[in-house]
Amino acid sequence: MLLFQSEEWIDRWCKRNHLERGEILTINQVWELSKLWYSNRLSADFHGRSLEQVAEVFRQAGLTSKFWYIQK
Amino acid sequence: MKDENILWQIRHFVYNHFADTTRPPSVEETAAHFNISTEEASELFKELHNRHAFFLEPETLTVRMANPFSGIPTDFKVHANGKTYFANCAWDMLGIPAALQCDAVIDAVFTESNESVQLEVRNGQLTDSQSTNSQLLIHFPLPFARWYDDLVFT
Repeated sequence: MLLFQSEEWIDRWCKRNHLERGEILTINQVWELSKLWYSNRLSADFHGRSLEQVAEVFRQAGLTSKFWYIQK
Repeated sequence: MKDENILWQIRHFVYNHFADTTRPPSVEETAAHFNISTEEASELFKELHNRHAFFLEPETLTVRMANPFSGIPTDFKVHANGKTYFANCAWDMLGIPAALQCDAVIDAVFTESNESVQLEVRNGQLTDSQSTNSQLLIHFPLPFARWYDDLVFT
């Protein structure tokens, strides 16, 4: 995941690398996602997440588009 | 069947070694810590890699990624708790203060323009040196279903 100043820079990068545009989030959206995704990562009790748990994190972060769809 | 207890203890050891020292432990350091053979530690490293608990450099026993921590230098430096960490990507640069649950200053580079930016996490709030952080963007090139196809690219 890469950091950009604007959508114009993303389009330029995608064109140069012959890639389709993926999903674009604001940095504040990613900060909120990071807190949900990583806050327990250093815990001895963290053994990974089930697909259901991943889906719940995305839902809590408001990521509900097809891009975040999880095939269970 | 691997010993699940020591498997997850090793995952915890690797993550806390990153947090304490900014780098991953070697398989030899891990074996010594748990008083097991290097061969046994190697097998447990491979098992944790296969379970996506962390990721090894191809054909080696060197930890490349224990997300959000990177075992190699990147464009995303995170200064926290008096140490400097490298993050794997723009998401993980925010993941490090989230995982450490502390304030941080982040030095990052914008893709394509190659300009530098400094971000700060203080008391759970994110700001940046351009005071425009709500407009800064992070691009996710692949949908979740394909994240593990090629993790370095993702």
